[in-house]
Amino acid sequence: MAIGIGGAGGKLASLMSPNSVAVNVSETELSKVNAAEKILAYAHTERGQLKGSKKDPSIGKSSFNSIRAQILEAVQGNMVLSSSGGGTGNGITSQILDVIATYDNIPDIRKTEFAIILPYAPRESQEFIVNTLEFLKGPLSNALDSTNTGNLFLFSNKMKFEQRIAEEKYNQMIVESLKKFEAIPKKGDTCELLEGHIDHEDFAAYRSKSFFNNFCYFDYDPERYFGDQLNENANPLLLPGETPIEALFLLEVPTDYDHTVFYNILDHFSSIKVAPMYSVVRNPAIDKPFVTVSTLYSRKPMELVNDFNRISDESTQAKIDKSLEQYVEFQQMNVTLQEEAQKVAHEKGQPTDEIISVLKRLGKLK
Amino acid sequence: MSMNELFEKQIAELQRAHFLVLYWTTVAEDKKIRYNITNVFDDLKYLKVTRTKQSAVAFVETLKTLCFIAIREESNRKNLYLSNYGAQALEKLIISKKFEPEKSNYLEG
Repeated sequence: MAIGIGGAGGKLASLMSPNSVAVNVSETELSKVNAAEKILAYAHTERGQLKGSKKDPSIGKSSFNSIRAQILEAVQGNMVLSSSGGGTGNGITSQILDVIATYDNIPDIRKTEFAIILPYAPRESQEFIVNTLEFLKGPLSNALDSTNTGNLFLFSNKMKFEQRIAEEKYNQMIVESLKKFEAIPKKGDTCELLEGHIDHEDFAAYRSKSFFNNFCYFDYDPERYFGDQLNENANPLLLPGETPIEALFLLEVPTDYDHTVFYNILDHFSSIKVAPMYSVVRNPAIDKPFVTVSTLYSRKPMELVNDFNRISDESTQAKIDKSLEQYVEFQQMNVTLQEEAQKVAHEKGQPTDEIISVLKRLGKLK
Repeated sequence: MSMNELFEKQIAELQRAHFLVLYWTTVAEDKKIRYNITNVFDDLKYLKVTRTKQSAVAFVETLKTLCFIAIREESNRKNLYLSNYGAQALEKLIISKKFEPEKSNYLEG
Protein backbone atom coordinates (compact mmCIF):
# COMPACT_ATOMS: atom_id res chain seq x y z
CA MET A 1 0.00 0.00 0.00
CA ALA A 2 1.19 3.48 -0.76
CA ILE A 3 0.65 6.46 1.50
CA GLY A 4 0.96 9.81 -0.18
CA ILE A 5 1.57 12.83 2.00
CA GLY A 6 1.03 16.33 0.69
CA GLY A 7 0.20 17.38 -2.85
CA ALA A 8 3.00 15.60 -4.70
CA GLY A 9 2.88 12.52 -2.46
CA GLY A 10 -0.89 12.13 -2.87
CA LYS A 11 -0.70 12.20 -6.65
CA LEU A 12 2.12 9.65 -6.70
CA ALA A 13 0.41 7.33 -4.24
CA SER A 14 -2.82 7.31 -6.22
CA LEU A 15 -0.84 6.25 -9.28
CA MET A 16 1.08 3.66 -7.28
CA SER A 17 -1.82 1.57 -6.10
CA PRO A 18 -5.62 1.61 -6.23
CA ASN A 19 -5.90 1.28 -2.44
CA SER A 20 -3.66 4.18 -1.62
CA VAL A 21 -4.02 6.62 1.26
CA ALA A 22 -3.72 10.34 0.68
CA VAL A 23 -2.93 12.77 3.48
CA ASN A 24 -3.25 16.51 3.18
CA VAL A 25 -4.16 19.61 5.19
CA SER A 26 -6.15 20.92 2.26
CA GLU A 27 -9.60 19.49 1.69
CA THR A 28 -9.62 20.83 -1.87
CA GLU A 29 -6.36 19.08 -2.70
CA LEU A 30 -7.66 15.86 -1.16
CA SER A 31 -10.81 15.98 -3.23
CA LYS A 32 -8.75 16.08 -6.40
CA VAL A 33 -6.77 12.96 -5.55
CA ASN A 34 -8.07 9.58 -6.60
CA ALA A 35 -7.20 7.67 -3.42
CA ALA A 36 -9.03 4.85 -1.64
CA GLU A 37 -8.66 6.54 1.72
CA LYS A 38 -8.26 10.21 2.41
CA ILE A 39 -6.99 11.64 5.65
CA LEU A 40 -7.49 15.32 6.35
CA ALA A 41 -4.90 16.66 8.78
CA TYR A 42 -6.21 19.56 10.80
CA ALA A 43 -4.33 22.77 10.45
CA HIS A 44 -6.44 25.51 11.91
CA THR A 45 -6.04 29.22 12.13
CA GLU A 46 -8.58 31.74 13.34
CA ARG A 47 -9.94 31.72 9.80
CA GLY A 48 -10.71 28.00 9.91
CA GLN A 49 -9.14 25.00 8.19
CA LEU A 50 -6.17 25.97 6.05
CA LYS A 51 -6.34 25.27 2.35
CA GLY A 52 -2.63 24.52 2.20
CA SER A 53 0.46 24.65 4.33
CA LYS A 54 2.03 27.72 2.70
CA LYS A 55 5.20 25.72 1.95
CA ASP A 56 5.81 25.96 5.68
CA PRO A 57 6.79 22.59 7.22
CA SER A 58 5.87 23.80 10.69
CA ILE A 59 2.20 23.80 9.62
CA GLY A 60 2.55 20.20 8.41
CA LYS A 61 4.31 19.34 11.66
CA SER A 62 1.62 20.84 13.88
CA SER A 63 -1.16 19.16 11.90
CA PHE A 64 0.52 15.77 12.42
CA ASN A 65 -0.91 15.43 15.93
CA SER A 66 -4.47 15.47 14.60
CA ILE A 67 -3.79 12.27 12.65
CA ARG A 68 -0.94 10.82 14.68
CA ALA A 69 -2.34 7.41 15.65
CA GLN A 70 -4.07 6.87 12.33
CA ILE A 71 -1.03 7.68 10.21
CA LEU A 72 1.50 5.83 12.36
CA GLU A 73 -0.67 2.72 12.06
CA ALA A 74 -1.10 3.17 8.31
CA VAL A 75 2.58 3.56 7.47
CA GLN A 76 3.67 0.33 9.11
CA GLY A 77 4.98 -2.07 6.49
CA ASN A 78 4.06 0.34 3.72
CA MET A 79 5.63 2.94 1.55
CA VAL A 80 5.36 6.67 2.21
CA LEU A 81 5.60 8.95 -0.78
CA SER A 82 6.16 12.64 -0.28
CA SER A 83 8.16 15.59 -1.43
CA SER A 84 10.64 17.38 0.76
CA GLY A 85 10.07 20.82 -0.70
CA GLY A 86 6.58 21.84 0.38
CA GLY A 87 4.98 22.21 3.77
CA THR A 88 2.65 19.26 4.19
CA GLY A 89 4.79 16.47 2.74
CA ASN A 90 7.90 17.67 4.46
CA GLY A 91 6.20 18.52 7.78
CA ILE A 92 4.17 15.35 8.30
CA THR A 93 6.87 13.04 6.92
CA SER A 94 9.40 14.68 9.26
CA GLN A 95 7.17 13.89 12.22
CA ILE A 96 6.68 10.29 11.09
CA LEU A 97 10.45 9.86 10.71
CA ASP A 98 11.02 11.41 14.14
CA VAL A 99 8.59 8.98 15.77
CA ILE A 100 10.02 6.00 13.88
CA ALA A 101 13.52 6.95 15.03
CA THR A 102 12.42 6.47 18.64
CA TYR A 103 11.14 2.87 18.22
CA ASP A 104 12.98 -0.04 19.81
CA ASN A 105 13.26 -3.20 17.77
CA ILE A 106 10.75 -2.76 15.04
CA PRO A 107 10.14 -6.01 13.12
CA ASP A 108 11.16 -6.01 9.45
CA ILE A 109 7.63 -6.42 8.15
CA ARG A 110 6.52 -3.26 9.94
CA LYS A 111 9.27 -1.07 8.61
CA THR A 112 8.26 1.83 6.41
CA GLU A 113 9.86 2.61 3.09
CA PHE A 114 10.13 6.22 2.06
CA ALA A 115 10.15 7.59 -1.45
CA ILE A 116 11.10 11.25 -1.25
CA ILE A 117 10.98 13.65 -4.15
CA LEU A 118 13.76 16.19 -3.80
CA PRO A 119 13.56 19.55 -5.56
CA TYR A 120 16.00 20.50 -8.27
CA ALA A 121 17.99 23.30 -6.67
CA PRO A 122 18.87 25.39 -9.74
CA ARG A 123 15.26 25.64 -10.88
CA GLU A 124 13.04 25.49 -7.83
CA SER A 125 12.24 28.06 -5.20
CA GLN A 126 14.69 28.73 -2.41
CA GLU A 127 12.03 27.77 0.16
CA PHE A 128 11.93 24.26 -1.26
CA ILE A 129 15.68 23.96 -0.98
CA VAL A 130 15.77 25.30 2.58
CA ASN A 131 12.93 22.95 3.61
CA THR A 132 14.75 20.03 2.00
CA LEU A 133 18.02 20.83 3.74
CA GLU A 134 16.27 20.88 7.11
CA PHE A 135 14.55 17.62 6.27
CA LEU A 136 17.74 15.85 5.19
CA LYS A 137 19.82 17.10 8.11
CA GLY A 138 17.24 16.38 10.77
CA PRO A 139 14.48 13.78 10.55
CA LEU A 140 15.82 11.75 7.62
CA SER A 141 19.33 11.53 9.02
CA ASN A 142 18.10 10.54 12.51
CA ALA A 143 15.66 7.93 11.21
CA LEU A 144 18.34 6.41 9.01
CA ASP A 145 20.75 6.20 11.94
CA SER A 146 18.10 4.48 14.03
CA THR A 147 17.89 1.73 11.32
CA ASN A 148 14.15 1.62 11.92
CA THR A 149 13.17 2.54 8.38
CA GLY A 150 13.00 0.42 5.27
CA ASN A 151 14.65 1.47 2.02
CA LEU A 152 14.80 5.15 1.20
CA PHE A 153 14.32 6.17 -2.39
CA LEU A 154 15.57 9.62 -3.21
CA PHE A 155 13.97 10.85 -6.40
CA SER A 156 15.12 14.08 -7.93
CA ASN A 157 13.19 16.59 -9.98
CA LYS A 158 16.32 17.23 -12.03
CA MET A 159 15.24 15.25 -15.10
CA LYS A 160 11.76 16.80 -14.99
CA PHE A 161 13.18 20.30 -15.31
CA GLU A 162 16.04 19.53 -17.65
CA GLN A 163 13.92 17.60 -20.09
CA ARG A 164 10.79 19.72 -19.64
CA ILE A 165 8.52 16.86 -18.67
CA ALA A 166 4.91 17.49 -17.64
CA GLU A 167 4.31 16.82 -13.95
CA GLU A 168 1.69 14.16 -14.57
CA LYS A 169 3.97 12.33 -16.97
CA TYR A 170 6.91 12.64 -14.60
CA ASN A 171 4.85 11.20 -11.74
CA GLN A 172 3.87 8.38 -14.06
CA MET A 173 7.53 7.76 -14.84
CA ILE A 174 8.46 7.62 -11.16
CA VAL A 175 5.63 5.22 -10.43
CA GLU A 176 6.40 2.99 -13.40
CA SER A 177 10.02 2.93 -12.37
CA LEU A 178 9.12 1.90 -8.81
CA LYS A 179 6.75 -0.74 -10.15
CA LYS A 180 9.54 -2.22 -12.26
CA PHE A 181 11.59 -2.62 -9.12
CA GLU A 182 8.67 -4.06 -7.17
CA ALA A 183 8.01 -6.57 -9.95
CA ILE A 184 11.29 -8.43 -9.29
CA PRO A 185 9.87 -11.24 -7.10
CA LYS A 186 6.76 -11.59 -9.28
CA LYS A 187 8.95 -12.54 -12.23
CA GLY A 188 10.07 -15.56 -10.23
CA ASP A 189 6.41 -16.60 -9.96
CA THR A 190 5.47 -16.20 -13.60
CA CYS A 191 8.69 -17.15 -15.42
CA GLU A 192 10.80 -20.28 -15.49
CA LEU A 193 13.47 -19.95 -12.80
CA LEU A 194 17.00 -20.76 -14.04
CA GLU A 195 19.39 -19.65 -11.31
CA GLY A 196 19.17 -18.24 -7.81
CA HIS A 197 15.91 -17.10 -6.37
CA ILE A 198 14.46 -13.92 -4.97
CA ASP A 199 11.14 -14.82 -3.46
CA HIS A 200 8.71 -12.36 -1.92
CA GLU A 201 10.14 -12.83 1.54
CA ASP A 202 13.73 -12.29 0.39
CA PHE A 203 12.62 -9.21 -1.43
CA ALA A 204 10.71 -7.87 1.57
CA ALA A 205 13.77 -8.46 3.78
CA TYR A 206 15.91 -6.57 1.29
CA ARG A 207 13.48 -3.68 1.24
CA SER A 208 13.34 -3.47 5.01
CA LYS A 209 16.99 -2.46 5.25
CA SER A 210 17.73 1.08 6.36
CA PHE A 211 19.71 2.14 3.35
CA PHE A 212 19.27 4.30 0.31
CA ASN A 213 18.04 2.25 -2.60
CA ASN A 214 19.22 2.99 -6.10
CA PHE A 215 17.83 0.85 -8.87
CA CYS A 216 17.91 0.75 -12.65
CA TYR A 217 17.03 -1.57 -15.51
CA PHE A 218 18.40 -1.96 -19.00
CA ASP A 219 19.09 -4.33 -21.90
CA TYR A 220 22.18 -6.23 -20.91
CA ASP A 221 24.96 -6.78 -23.42
CA PRO A 222 27.16 -9.67 -22.14
CA GLU A 223 29.96 -8.66 -24.52
CA ARG A 224 30.66 -5.53 -22.50
CA TYR A 225 31.74 -5.04 -18.90
CA PHE A 226 28.72 -4.95 -16.63
CA GLY A 227 30.00 -2.13 -14.41
CA ASP A 228 30.24 0.23 -17.38
CA GLN A 229 26.73 -0.57 -18.48
CA LEU A 230 25.49 -0.04 -14.93
CA ASN A 231 27.01 3.44 -14.88
CA GLU A 232 25.64 4.31 -18.31
CA ASN A 233 22.14 3.20 -17.44
CA ALA A 234 21.81 4.82 -14.03
CA ASN A 235 18.21 5.65 -13.24
CA PRO A 236 17.81 9.31 -14.22
CA LEU A 237 14.88 9.72 -11.85
CA LEU A 238 16.91 8.90 -8.77
CA LEU A 239 19.70 10.78 -7.11
CA PRO A 240 22.99 9.16 -8.23
CA GLY A 241 23.96 6.22 -6.00
CA GLU A 242 27.16 5.56 -4.13
CA THR A 243 29.40 2.52 -3.69
CA PRO A 244 26.98 -0.28 -2.92
CA ILE A 245 26.92 -2.16 0.36
CA GLU A 246 24.37 -4.68 -0.79
CA ALA A 247 22.88 -5.49 -4.17
CA LEU A 248 20.15 -7.45 -5.84
CA PHE A 249 19.53 -8.21 -9.49
CA LEU A 250 17.11 -10.00 -11.72
CA LEU A 251 18.30 -11.17 -15.12
CA GLU A 252 15.71 -12.08 -17.69
CA VAL A 253 16.90 -13.99 -20.73
CA PRO A 254 15.04 -14.87 -23.93
CA THR A 255 14.23 -18.41 -24.92
CA ASP A 256 17.28 -20.51 -25.97
CA TYR A 257 19.73 -17.97 -24.56
CA ASP A 258 22.81 -19.02 -22.59
CA HIS A 259 21.83 -17.65 -19.23
CA THR A 260 25.28 -18.23 -17.67
CA VAL A 261 26.16 -14.67 -18.65
CA PHE A 262 24.89 -13.82 -15.19
CA TYR A 263 28.34 -14.85 -13.91
CA ASN A 264 29.66 -11.69 -15.60
CA ILE A 265 27.39 -9.68 -13.38
CA LEU A 266 28.52 -11.59 -10.29
CA ASP A 267 32.13 -10.91 -11.34
CA HIS A 268 31.47 -7.19 -11.31
CA PHE A 269 29.92 -7.27 -7.86
CA SER A 270 32.65 -9.46 -6.46
CA SER A 271 35.21 -6.90 -7.73
CA ILE A 272 33.54 -4.32 -5.48
CA LYS A 273 33.20 -6.88 -2.66
CA VAL A 274 29.46 -7.23 -2.75
CA ALA A 275 27.66 -10.59 -2.83
CA PRO A 276 24.32 -9.82 -4.43
CA MET A 277 21.02 -11.60 -4.10
CA TYR A 278 19.97 -12.65 -7.58
CA SER A 279 17.51 -14.45 -9.73
CA VAL A 280 17.78 -15.51 -13.38
CA VAL A 281 14.58 -16.28 -15.23
CA ARG A 282 13.58 -17.16 -18.75
CA ASN A 283 11.17 -14.67 -20.24
CA PRO A 284 9.87 -15.69 -23.71
CA ALA A 285 8.41 -12.22 -24.24
CA ILE A 286 11.83 -10.57 -24.72
CA ASP A 287 14.52 -11.00 -27.38
CA LYS A 288 17.51 -9.55 -25.52
CA PRO A 289 18.71 -10.13 -21.97
CA PHE A 290 17.19 -7.58 -19.59
CA VAL A 291 18.52 -6.82 -16.15
CA THR A 292 16.97 -5.04 -13.19
CA VAL A 293 19.55 -4.05 -10.57
CA SER A 294 19.15 -2.52 -7.17
CA THR A 295 22.01 -1.42 -4.95
CA LEU A 296 21.86 -0.26 -1.37
CA TYR A 297 24.21 2.42 -0.14
CA SER A 298 24.53 4.23 3.12
CA ARG A 299 25.78 7.57 2.01
CA LYS A 300 24.96 9.82 4.90
CA PRO A 301 22.46 12.57 4.26
CA MET A 302 25.12 14.97 5.54
CA GLU A 303 26.93 14.50 2.27
CA LEU A 304 23.69 14.96 0.39
CA VAL A 305 23.18 18.11 2.36
CA ASN A 306 26.57 19.35 1.26
CA ASP A 307 25.61 18.65 -2.33
CA PHE A 308 22.40 20.55 -1.87
CA ASN A 309 24.18 23.35 -0.10
CA ARG A 310 26.64 23.63 -2.93
CA ILE A 311 23.94 23.81 -5.58
CA SER A 312 21.84 26.16 -3.48
CA ASP A 313 24.94 28.28 -2.89
CA GLU A 314 25.66 28.52 -6.58
CA SER A 315 22.14 29.57 -7.43
CA THR A 316 22.12 32.09 -4.58
CA GLN A 317 25.44 33.46 -5.79
CA ALA A 318 23.99 33.80 -9.28
CA LYS A 319 21.03 35.68 -7.81
CA ILE A 320 23.35 37.99 -5.90
CA ASP A 321 25.44 38.64 -9.00
CA LYS A 322 22.32 39.50 -10.89
CA SER A 323 21.02 41.87 -8.24
CA LEU A 324 24.44 43.55 -8.13
CA GLU A 325 24.26 44.07 -11.87
CA GLN A 326 20.91 45.71 -11.40
CA TYR A 327 22.16 47.92 -8.58
CA VAL A 328 21.39 51.55 -9.26
CA GLU A 329 22.81 54.31 -7.13
CA PHE A 330 20.24 56.81 -6.02
CA GLN A 331 21.25 60.42 -6.18
CA GLN A 332 20.73 62.20 -2.94
CA MET A 333 19.11 65.57 -3.40
CA ASN A 334 19.88 68.17 -0.78
CA VAL A 335 16.70 70.15 -0.71
CA THR A 336 16.18 72.85 1.89
CA LEU A 337 12.93 74.66 2.29
CA GLN A 338 14.67 77.98 2.37
CA GLU A 339 16.43 77.49 -0.96
CA GLU A 340 13.31 76.18 -2.64
CA ALA A 341 11.24 79.09 -1.32
CA GLN A 342 13.86 81.54 -2.52
CA LYS A 343 13.87 79.90 -5.92
CA VAL A 344 10.09 80.11 -6.19
CA ALA A 345 10.03 83.68 -4.94
CA HIS A 346 12.69 84.60 -7.45
CA GLU A 347 10.75 82.97 -10.30
CA LYS A 348 7.58 84.79 -9.33
CA GLY A 349 9.44 88.06 -8.79
CA GLN A 350 7.60 88.83 -5.53
CA PRO A 351 8.14 91.94 -3.36
CA THR A 352 9.81 89.78 -0.71
CA ASP A 353 12.76 89.70 -3.07
CA GLU A 354 12.92 93.42 -2.86
CA ILE A 355 13.19 93.52 0.93
CA ILE A 356 15.99 91.00 0.90
CA SER A 357 17.86 92.96 -1.70
CA VAL A 358 17.32 96.10 0.39
CA LEU A 359 18.78 94.27 3.41
CA LYS A 360 21.75 93.25 1.28
CA ARG A 361 22.18 96.78 -0.05
CA LEU A 362 22.20 98.09 3.51
CA GLY A 363 24.98 95.62 4.24
CA LYS A 364 22.91 93.84 6.90
CA LEU A 365 22.80 90.56 4.98
CA LYS A 366 25.68 88.89 3.25
CA MET B 1 20.48 73.37 21.90
CA SER B 2 22.80 74.85 19.31
CA MET B 3 22.92 78.59 18.62
CA ASN B 4 21.25 78.00 15.29
CA GLU B 5 18.36 76.17 16.90
CA LEU B 6 17.99 78.92 19.45
CA PHE B 7 17.92 81.50 16.66
CA GLU B 8 15.26 79.52 14.79
CA LYS B 9 13.20 79.24 17.96
CA GLN B 10 13.42 82.96 18.63
CA ILE B 11 12.22 83.73 15.12
CA ALA B 12 9.37 81.23 15.42
CA GLU B 13 8.12 83.10 18.51
CA LEU B 14 7.94 86.48 16.76
CA GLN B 15 4.48 87.90 16.16
CA ARG B 16 3.08 89.97 13.31
CA ALA B 17 3.80 93.21 15.17
CA HIS B 18 7.48 92.25 15.61
CA PHE B 19 7.68 91.43 11.92
CA LEU B 20 6.18 94.76 10.93
CA VAL B 21 8.57 96.69 13.18
CA LEU B 22 11.55 94.89 11.66
CA TYR B 23 10.19 95.52 8.17
CA TRP B 24 9.48 99.21 8.73
CA THR B 25 12.85 99.74 10.34
CA THR B 26 14.40 98.37 7.14
CA VAL B 27 12.28 100.59 4.92
CA ALA B 28 13.18 103.62 7.06
CA GLU B 29 16.88 102.88 6.89
CA ASP B 30 16.59 102.40 3.14
CA LYS B 31 14.82 105.75 2.81
CA LYS B 32 17.30 107.31 5.24
CA ILE B 33 14.42 108.40 7.46
CA ARG B 34 14.76 108.18 11.23
CA TYR B 35 12.13 105.89 12.68
CA ASN B 36 11.36 106.03 16.41
CA ILE B 37 9.16 104.28 18.97
CA THR B 38 6.39 106.88 18.60
CA ASN B 39 6.29 106.24 14.83
CA VAL B 40 6.05 102.52 15.56
CA PHE B 41 3.09 103.13 17.89
CA ASP B 42 1.34 105.32 15.30
CA ASP B 43 1.80 102.79 12.51
CA LEU B 44 0.65 99.84 14.64
CA LYS B 45 -2.35 101.84 15.81
CA TYR B 46 -3.15 102.77 12.18
CA LEU B 47 -3.17 99.09 11.22
CA LYS B 48 -5.22 98.27 14.34
CA VAL B 49 -2.54 95.94 15.64
CA THR B 50 -2.60 97.65 19.02
CA ARG B 51 -4.26 100.53 20.76
CA THR B 52 -1.80 101.23 23.57
CA LYS B 53 1.66 102.70 23.55
CA GLN B 54 2.75 100.18 26.21
CA SER B 55 2.30 97.26 23.86
CA ALA B 56 4.14 99.09 21.07
CA VAL B 57 7.00 99.70 23.52
CA ALA B 58 6.84 96.02 24.57
CA PHE B 59 7.22 94.85 20.95
CA VAL B 60 10.20 97.13 20.44
CA GLU B 61 11.76 96.18 23.78
CA THR B 62 11.47 92.50 22.89
CA LEU B 63 13.24 93.04 19.59
CA LYS B 64 15.91 95.02 21.38
CA THR B 65 16.37 92.32 24.02
CA LEU B 66 16.74 89.75 21.26
CA CYS B 67 19.35 92.05 19.68
CA PHE B 68 17.33 92.21 16.47
CA ILE B 69 17.29 95.96 16.65
CA ALA B 70 19.37 98.65 18.31
CA ILE B 71 17.81 101.72 19.92
CA ARG B 72 19.77 104.89 19.79
CA GLU B 73 18.91 108.12 21.60
CA GLU B 74 19.18 110.82 18.94
CA SER B 75 17.90 114.43 19.53
CA ASN B 76 15.78 113.20 22.41
CA ARG B 77 14.18 110.53 20.16
CA LYS B 78 14.61 106.81 20.50
CA ASN B 79 15.40 105.74 16.92
CA LEU B 80 15.33 102.14 15.70
CA TYR B 81 18.12 100.48 13.69
CA LEU B 82 18.11 96.94 12.35
CA SER B 83 20.98 94.71 13.52
CA ASN B 84 22.55 91.98 11.36
CA TYR B 85 20.68 89.38 13.40
CA GLY B 86 17.47 91.31 12.87
CA ALA B 87 18.16 91.30 9.13
CA GLN B 88 18.58 87.52 9.16
CA ALA B 89 15.42 87.15 11.21
CA LEU B 90 13.50 89.35 8.81
CA GLU B 91 14.86 87.39 5.85
CA LYS B 92 13.66 84.12 7.34
CA LEU B 93 10.22 85.52 8.11
CA ILE B 94 9.92 86.89 4.57
CA ILE B 95 10.92 83.56 3.02
CA SER B 96 8.59 81.58 5.26
CA LYS B 97 5.71 83.86 4.16
CA LYS B 98 4.39 83.71 7.71
CA PHE B 99 3.37 87.38 7.60
CA GLU B 100 2.56 89.80 4.81
CA PRO B 101 4.55 93.07 4.70
CA GLU B 102 2.30 96.12 5.09
CA LYS B 103 2.99 99.75 4.31
CA SER B 104 3.94 102.10 7.11
CA ASN B 105 1.63 105.10 7.19
CA TYR B 106 4.47 107.25 8.48
CA LEU B 107 7.09 106.17 5.93
CA GLU B 108 5.02 105.47 2.84
CA GLY B 109 1.61 106.95 3.59
